[in-house]
Amino acid sequence: MELAKIEKVLDAYFEGETTLTEEKMLREYFSGTNVAPHLEAYKNLFVGLKNAQQEVSEKEVILPEVSNTSNRRWWWSVAASVVIVLGVVGLQFSANTNQLTSEEQQALTEFNKTKETLLLLSKSFNKGTGELAVLGEFTIAKNKILK
Amino acid sequence: MNQTEFLKTILPCKDKLYRLAKRLLVSKDEAEDAVQEVFLKLWKGRDKIKNYKSPEAFAITMTKNYCLDRLKSRQASNLKIVHNNFKNSENIERQVEANEGVELVTKIMKTLPEKQKIIMQLRDIEQFEFAEISQMLEINETAIRVALSRARKAVREQLIKQYNYGVS
Repeated sequence: MELAKIEKVLDAYFEGETTLTEEKMLREYFSGTNVAPHLEAYKNLFVGLKNAQQEVSEKEVILPEVSNTSNRRWWWSVAASVVIVLGVVGLQFSANTNQLTSEEQQALTEFNKTKETLLLLSKSFNKGTGELAVLGEFTIAKNKILK
Repeated sequence: MNQTEFLKTILPCKDKLYRLAKRLLVSKDEAEDAVQEVFLKLWKGRDKIKNYKSPEAFAITMTKNYCLDRLKSRQASNLKIVHNNFKNSENIERQVEANEGVELVTKIMKTLPEKQKIIMQLRDIEQFEFAEISQMLEINETAIRVALSRARKAVREQLIKQYNYGVS
């Protein structure tokens, strides 16, 4: 490579006006053994830049195993839902079919009787409150007149 | 996009991202952490990667932004600055030993302003076209050439000073 051309490209390099091809040419020239003595100082620059590109990261990148874990989670939730549904259905089923023991049946009749009685009581009670409502009306009328 | 596809797209530029991060953050560990973070971010947004014309350019922009954020938060906390200074001086010491030759360039590059550092890294080390760098940094090509010229001249000045010192 003729020296004049190298010098010209070198000048353009420092002005930021070289192409990638020209820059490659410079790197090759300065990596060689025939560097002109007055350009020796630039050897470190171009060889240094070239070496800087050789540096590599030694650490592996770790990506979360998204696809696998999400699949597993999905299955877990399905399994859990199935168990719950089965449990609820099973409980319902057993409650419906189980025969009541005689004691329970007696308790049930007692309960119904009590309920009836209480209902009756509350009905009579409501009758009483009905009269109270009339009394209330009376108070309102009285207030209107007397004030 | 599954993991294999993703890695096929992004893994080839891993070392470029690492070198850029290391140029900015200096410490090897921090650079590795930065790459890991950027990969995670890209992985989270992997469905969008296909929409970008150049996933590599996108990854580089992301790395640059991440590192600049790290530097900013580092400055924000005094404690970290002390820590960082310690690390830097340690690094420089180590480099002074291996200084004599080609390590000098990367050492000098450390003294450049961030923008010039990034541009010189992308052009002179990774050899990207100006159009690509312009896309990555969202700076027009003329401004990139100007910053690059400044960076190269600054490096030259230091380099020749050191060279003459070594020779005489």
